Amino acid sequence: MSEITPAGADPFDITVRSNGLGRRRRVEKSLGFLAILSAVAAVGVLALVLGTVLFKGIDSLNLNLFTEPRPLFGQEGGIADALIGSVLIVGMSMAFAIPVAVLVAIYMSEYASVRVATFLRLVLDVLNGVPAIVVGIFVFGLLVVGHGQSAVYGAFALSILMLPMVARATQEVLDIVPRSQREGSLALGVTKWRTTWNIILPSAIGGILTGVVIAVARVAGETAPLLFTSAIAANAISLDVSHALPTLPVAIFVFSESPDPGEQAMGWAAALVLIAFVLVMNVLAKIFAGRKRRQLEGS
Amino acid sequence: MKKLLAAVIAIAALVSASVVSTGAVAAPARSQGTLVGAGATFPFPLISKWIPEVGKAYDVNITYSPVGSGAGIAAITARTVDFGASDAPLSASQLDACKGCVVIPWALSATSIPYNLPGVDFRVKLDGPTIAAIYLGEITNWSDAKLKALNKGKNLPDMKITPVFRSDGSGTTYNFTEYLSSVSPTWKDKVGFNTSVSFPTGVGARGSSGVAGVVKNTPGALTYVDVAYSITNKFQFAVVKNRAGKFATPGLRGIQAAVSKVPDKVTQLSQLKIVDPPKSAGNLAYPIVTFTYVIVPTNSAKAADLRKFIYWAVTQGQKFGPPLLFQPLPKPVQAFAYREIKKIQGGNS
Amino acid sequence: MTTVTHDPAAPGPRLESRGIRLGDVLFRGVAVAAAAGTTALLGLIAYKVIEQAWPSIEHFGLSFVWTEAWDPVKDNYGALTFVYGTVVTSVIALLLATPISIAIALFLTEIAPRRVAAPIATMVELLAAIPSVVLGLWGILVFGPWVARHLEPWLQDVLGFIPLFDGTFYQAGMLPAALVLTIMIVPITSAICRELFARTPRDLTDGALALGSTRWESIRGVMFAYAAPGIAAAVLLGLGRAFGEAIAVAQVIGGSDNIHTSLFAPADTLGSRIASQYQGATTPLQQGSLLYLGAILMVISLTTNVAAQFVVRRFEKQRRAA
Repeated sequence: MSEITPAGADPFDITVRSNGLGRRRRVEKSLGFLAILSAVAAVGVLALVLGTVLFKGIDSLNLNLFTEPRPLFGQEGGIADALIGSVLIVGMSMAFAIPVAVLVAIYMSEYASVRVATFLRLVLDVLNGVPAIVVGIFVFGLLVVGHGQSAVYGAFALSILMLPMVARATQEVLDIVPRSQREGSLALGVTKWRTTWNIILPSAIGGILTGVVIAVARVAGETAPLLFTSAIAANAISLDVSHALPTLPVAIFVFSESPDPGEQAMGWAAALVLIAFVLVMNVLAKIFAGRKRRQLEGS
Repeated sequence: MKKLLAAVIAIAALVSASVVSTGAVAAPARSQGTLVGAGATFPFPLISKWIPEVGKAYDVNITYSPVGSGAGIAAITARTVDFGASDAPLSASQLDACKGCVVIPWALSATSIPYNLPGVDFRVKLDGPTIAAIYLGEITNWSDAKLKALNKGKNLPDMKITPVFRSDGSGTTYNFTEYLSSVSPTWKDKVGFNTSVSFPTGVGARGSSGVAGVVKNTPGALTYVDVAYSITNKFQFAVVKNRAGKFATPGLRGIQAAVSKVPDKVTQLSQLKIVDPPKSAGNLAYPIVTFTYVIVPTNSAKAADLRKFIYWAVTQGQKFGPPLLFQPLPKPVQAFAYREIKKIQGGNS
Repeated sequence: MTTVTHDPAAPGPRLESRGIRLGDVLFRGVAVAAAAGTTALLGLIAYKVIEQAWPSIEHFGLSFVWTEAWDPVKDNYGALTFVYGTVVTSVIALLLATPISIAIALFLTEIAPRRVAAPIATMVELLAAIPSVVLGLWGILVFGPWVARHLEPWLQDVLGFIPLFDGTFYQAGMLPAALVLTIMIVPITSAICRELFARTPRDLTDGALALGSTRWESIRGVMFAYAAPGIAAAVLLGLGRAFGEAIAVAQVIGGSDNIHTSLFAPADTLGSRIASQYQGATTPLQQGSLLYLGAILMVISLTTNVAAQFVVRRFEKQRRAA
């Protein structure tokens, strides 16, 4: 049984004459509406969270925030100690992770057989999925037990989180570099390692930097590994990385549980600083990704 | 561009190297006149007052992280800090693990029972068995008959009670549960007392700050927290019935009365049990009172500074206590503290 | 006539000195070491976590996993409350996040014009970039109270006959935690789905349209069928992420030792219990038990993750063969 064609409709229009089309069209419309709604909801939640952080954090943005360490009970203070600690720890984790990650990627791309490379890709992907708190427990058991917490151990834990991201990003971009570049260089008598170092890597820089920036953005906000490695720290500005240092995410974690409006305000301000950093990193990542695309298209 | 990557790694490496070496160089300088401590949130208000004063008096720079009694005990056991602080005395196994630590009482205050009851302008009266029943889940509403009986003639709202507890290791929990174990055999049997117990019901939160925060935001909630935090956050807190049959306030006189039964000569920590004081302590005695302790290794490189700091704290430091509702230590306890301080040796003494 | 084939890797006569070959060997050696080290790292992580949990594993055995207990006074521990909490929060998050993610992915690939899709896609990605501690801060101070004051009463009005939605409203509990997890995994799952949908061969969907199906029917019938393994992988990856999240959950879940029926009641997960209590563990057995929870979490998340990887690889193979 076919639907009665509405007055004025084209009788040769095959879609109008098919079965139950009105209902199907309505289903389609409502699902389309739901899809739009979901996207709006996602953007809405983002705006809500970022907006709240912005509005609540901006009130506390003053110079003191960046020059004073965590205050004593009933006093004013800032997050300078946590900021410096975070910068040091993230900086060290970059120094630990980037060379190893790039080397692993080079091995996978230049030296390993297909089977080994596939296996290593699996290893990296699995490593990427290890929860941050499990990494914290690992570093705790490996280094902290018997020696105490320190910023260096914290950096080591963060570098484990960074490693798979940077390695995979590097490996993917190395694979895209055309074979012709390698073969040409080797044909000219350049050794393999110089070929890789001076010719292949530079073309891959855009991709590597994208991976690094994304990894740094993620790792700067990680709290769990630091709870195990650098949490019981003196609330004072310190450069001594052989001891635990205060960090931004741990500070936010502690402030978030405080009923003291002053500490809560500092929590929002710290969150604002952290999110601003993460956003800047994400923008940088997009810029580098664009650069990488143009470089590869150019070659 | 490759140069940029190389530069990034080089800078990161340079930062690490220079910072590590600075740390190595700075470390010996740090040990002169710096004390790092961690532990209970309970004494944090008082220690915050002590730090600038000790800095002025002895040129010792002290930092303190209020991470909780449990974390403080763990930190001093691992010797990652110079002193730990806890509201709970160390258990036998913890003392063992600490390998030669002294536990010295250095402050005295009370645990208040704040609540969030909008529209209630009178001070709610509670007693030990009722509080135990609330935390056991036996009393679930503020309009319960038992609560009515304690608060004769007053109107308590028909509101669910949310008991809030510390989910981290806490000396305040130790104090509170020790009290409940003393007044409720069911509690003692079912739950017991420790820095961390298995609460049968309620919501957990981290730190004194955490529980105070939950109470602030949850109508009908009630918790146990150091009286200093209650005052600072302008909470309403309950008056609790003591053995003399009177309802006592966690103020200075309540605390003073509660410790009036401490023996004249104190030789061991076990003599300092002051929860649920007997009837002879008087009408004002508040039942949930606790000492708070500093934990120090007997063999420490910073022994001299530690002795100066702790001696100052148990003598001149005590006068900073009353505005924060810390009652000055009774003389027998001070004498005990002096004897324990002498045991701190080692390093540049 | 002899043909000279030039082998670039072979040492030329007197042209390459020992030094340069050494460079090659060294470089390769270092690269191999890095790769081997990374593989060893994975094994070492598993080993160390289990080693630290061993005192508790030895004491309680496997029954720890299904025992509901957490009593530092009696030194008796069990993981059931936390396994339950982990599973329930993650499953709820998944049930909510999957349709939303698919809807967002469809929106971005099928409905939105190019100029609108790109910024919106970026914004959804940014949701993933928010550090979990910040989401937790927002959760404790803004979202949790809102859930307790508005969402939970509404849910009780509508669905109160189900025991899940019965009970007191708390601002910290299973429900706020599950919702925060949903916010965290939507960007991950939707990004994967979006890529899947974008890569579906056009001729498949065009064929369905030519046969008279509506857009939605072609999507449902063709695209989903094609992308199903990919969506499964996305779901598994999102699940793995939800299992592992400790910090934001610790901030909004309330820290209960026991299992409650109501979703409004406080609960606890494996990760968040470790994060809350490890610093102040009173006895060695409590510390070992917390790390036993960590071992269980590691096993659960590794299994989910490896399963996701295998589904992805099978899907890639299928796609290339097609």
